[in-house]
Amino acid sequence: MIDAVQLAQNLVNGFGLGLIYGLIGIGFCVIYNASGIVNFAQGVFVMLGGMVCHTLLSRLGLPISAAAVLTIPVVAVIGILMEILIVRPMWNRGASTFAIILATLATQMLIEQITLLTLGDQPRTYDSFTAGGPLKLGGVAISYQLFWVLGFGTLMVAGLWLFFTRSRMGRALRACSQNAEAAALLGIPVKRMLLASFALSAALGAIAGILVTPSQITAYNVGTPYGVNGFIAAIIGGFGSASGAVAGGLLLGILQAFAIVAFGAGFKNVAALTVLLIVLLVFPNGIFAGVKSLWARRT
Amino acid sequence: MTSPDIISTKAPGLAWARILPAVLGLGVLVYAFTSNGYVVTVVGFAAIYGLLCTGLNFFMGFTGQASFGQNAFAALGSYGSAILCTDYNVEPVLALVMTMVFSGLVALVVGYPTLRLRGHYLAMATFALGLITYEISVEWTDLTQGYMGYSGIPPLSLGPFQAQTDKQQLAVILVVLALGVLAAVRLRGSRFGRACRAIAGSEAAAGALGIPVARYKLISFVIAAVYASAAGSLFAHFVGFISPEVFGTTMVVQSFTMLYLGGIGTIAGPLIGAVVVSVLPELMRGLKDYQNIGYLVLLLAILIYAPKGVVGLLDSLSGKWRR
Amino acid sequence: MSLLEVRNVTKRFGGLLANDSIEFSVETGTIFAVIGPNGAGKTTLFNTVAGAFAPSQGEVAFRGQIISGQPVHKIAQAGLVRTYQLVQLFKTLTVAENVMVGFHRVTSGGVLAALLRKPSTQRQERMIEARTREILEFVGLTHRADVAADLLPYGEQRLLEVARALAASPTMLLLDEPAAGLNTEETESLARVIQRVNESGVTIMLIEHDMSFIMRVAHRIAVLDFGRKIAEGTPEEIRAHPDVIAAYLGGTEGFDD
Repeated sequence: MIDAVQLAQNLVNGFGLGLIYGLIGIGFCVIYNASGIVNFAQGVFVMLGGMVCHTLLSRLGLPISAAAVLTIPVVAVIGILMEILIVRPMWNRGASTFAIILATLATQMLIEQITLLTLGDQPRTYDSFTAGGPLKLGGVAISYQLFWVLGFGTLMVAGLWLFFTRSRMGRALRACSQNAEAAALLGIPVKRMLLASFALSAALGAIAGILVTPSQITAYNVGTPYGVNGFIAAIIGGFGSASGAVAGGLLLGILQAFAIVAFGAGFKNVAALTVLLIVLLVFPNGIFAGVKSLWARRT
Repeated sequence: MTSPDIISTKAPGLAWARILPAVLGLGVLVYAFTSNGYVVTVVGFAAIYGLLCTGLNFFMGFTGQASFGQNAFAALGSYGSAILCTDYNVEPVLALVMTMVFSGLVALVVGYPTLRLRGHYLAMATFALGLITYEISVEWTDLTQGYMGYSGIPPLSLGPFQAQTDKQQLAVILVVLALGVLAAVRLRGSRFGRACRAIAGSEAAAGALGIPVARYKLISFVIAAVYASAAGSLFAHFVGFISPEVFGTTMVVQSFTMLYLGGIGTIAGPLIGAVVVSVLPELMRGLKDYQNIGYLVLLLAILIYAPKGVVGLLDSLSGKWRR
Repeated sequence: MSLLEVRNVTKRFGGLLANDSIEFSVETGTIFAVIGPNGAGKTTLFNTVAGAFAPSQGEVAFRGQIISGQPVHKIAQAGLVRTYQLVQLFKTLTVAENVMVGFHRVTSGGVLAALLRKPSTQRQERMIEARTREILEFVGLTHRADVAADLLPYGEQRLLEVARALAASPTMLLLDEPAAGLNTEETESLARVIQRVNESGVTIMLIEHDMSFIMRVAHRIAVLDFGRKIAEGTPEEIRAHPDVIAAYLGGTEGFDD
């Protein structure tokens, strides 16, 4: 018997998580669009966002706002290092797609191991940005953190839209994604764009990690599930636009909410992965692109 | 008939590339059989991984595809053998074959839609297969006993012969590995193997010569899965205990490290890689906590600086000597 | 019945009409060439015949069987084997192995045969090796047999592609701009190989830019312009055909030569 209140509660939780997945998904798209590389280490930025922020809070006793503002550049620098030390040398040598994927996956595990050694293996969390709550609507509890996630999510999508359409660098990044050679001929420094895409993508992951940690937990090994769910969000959105990834993330979060009600919490990842497989197989170009092309075929 | 002899010499470095691994392998075996139990265990793991990588190499090195989810099939073989032998008293060898067939069938069903994908999508879809299997092995506790793991798995045996000691077990594992390598050698040099390597070169041209590309990719995926399953079964018997963590992402990265370190697309490469990667942690024992880090740094260094692995290095070295 | 019949083939890409109701047939044992200015629709036609695209309308029949819409490997198995304009060699394989792959269509055996290696399989392998040597001799690549294919100079790569296609014992060979990028000497040796292949009984259809090459090897020529066939005939007829001259010279320049 499905309990309506419980379902509603799960949907609310799923909505919040889905937004986070969407943010991570945007991170995938930014790098992919600049370079054609899918960074399998995307989830590690989310983990680092939470872990670094927690460390700043607990060891230095900073307020959350300061900790968050400091965390983002720290993680972005890690993203930049990853590009310089690993991706760029492989890219320059014309390594195969699979070798680059493997290298990013290995990087994720390397960062996880380093985190494990320096910060330990205990899961951790910190308080919501604002005290109090949750807001009660009927039997459904909505934590205040969800509003932060919602607010930042909207802000990020709007900000990225402005960045990609209005700023020189954003337009240059878009040009690279459409045709790297032509972009290079136009004098756009394609390699610097790759660097910028890793920095931006790492920052996005960090923001997602900072936002999600109060309502979930963080630990050295949370990267893979976040990374995979973010990838699924990006795939559903067609690997193109930021809003597509967010829509994909929301869809995924809501689907997971249903899966938890139907099969139990343990199978939420199985459900997500099954969605991934189905989407990949039925709509290799993403659901929205798939629907568009179906629509185009009809008309 | 004049041509620059730099490129017309017959496959440069062939002799070196063949002899050195053979000598190395023999040395390892002699050492294992004259040593204590711990060395036997390490070599046993190396042989099991060698089997897994030989299969993976068929799919990746020869057919030019990628599977980030071989751990799924290793888990199938392992849990299959564990359950059949412990709960149903099936003969280990029979269970090995049954799970190989089952894993092959699963690979056939799963691979049929999945292998239409390319590049990142193929990588992610196969990665998802491994993750799903992992999640199921954790959550379906009635079948797998979840995190508790499955213990009391009997050692390998065939009829009256029971591999009691570690060394006897190792001998059985080596026989299976030898059969696996022999099969790989035969496949590589056959009409089928050539067609697979042609697909890695150009799918379009392979199709234009009448090679059914999709079917051959699927078959080589099934082959890799059958190898992985056999490796999983052997692991279960050799250790006597399995749990979900054994078949996590670490296994994927470890098998790739072996493949790339040894040299992808060669017969000896996966074996060299398996031995080196299995022995390396023993040499780095002083590092303790940093072992995994050392490992990953090694993998990244290989990927960046020596993408053709040890065999490639040997080839180019002995090529230079020949000149 | 002709060996290959192109019946009323039309191919549209969105609003672009690449091929407009093209008809011709290729008789057994001949060399048939399709020429035309850039953008005339030659490559589209070639790919439609080879099975890379399905025609929007019309059909292609080979030995009386309709092949349009079939997957490429089925068309190849029926005996119609193509080469690529941008050479598509199996780069990690040696020259000899490239040719050995070509025998796929005319040999048999899968995984089981490979594992069992019965005497019949071993015989077949020996046959493949022997025939590979013959073919390499035929195209003049014997001295390169054990070289990795991507180390060959470009002209020899093209020869290897023809050699590999020959190994498949095609009834008919489709050559996509075989002389593209070759120097005079290489074009010369390619022309000789093509003529000798044809003399051995293989029907050939090719598309090509190099007019002197075409005039030398082709028995019949079809000329495309703006997606339509504007002429067909022997090399002499084509050379004298007013529409062809107009198409090639744009109709505005005089006949100075």
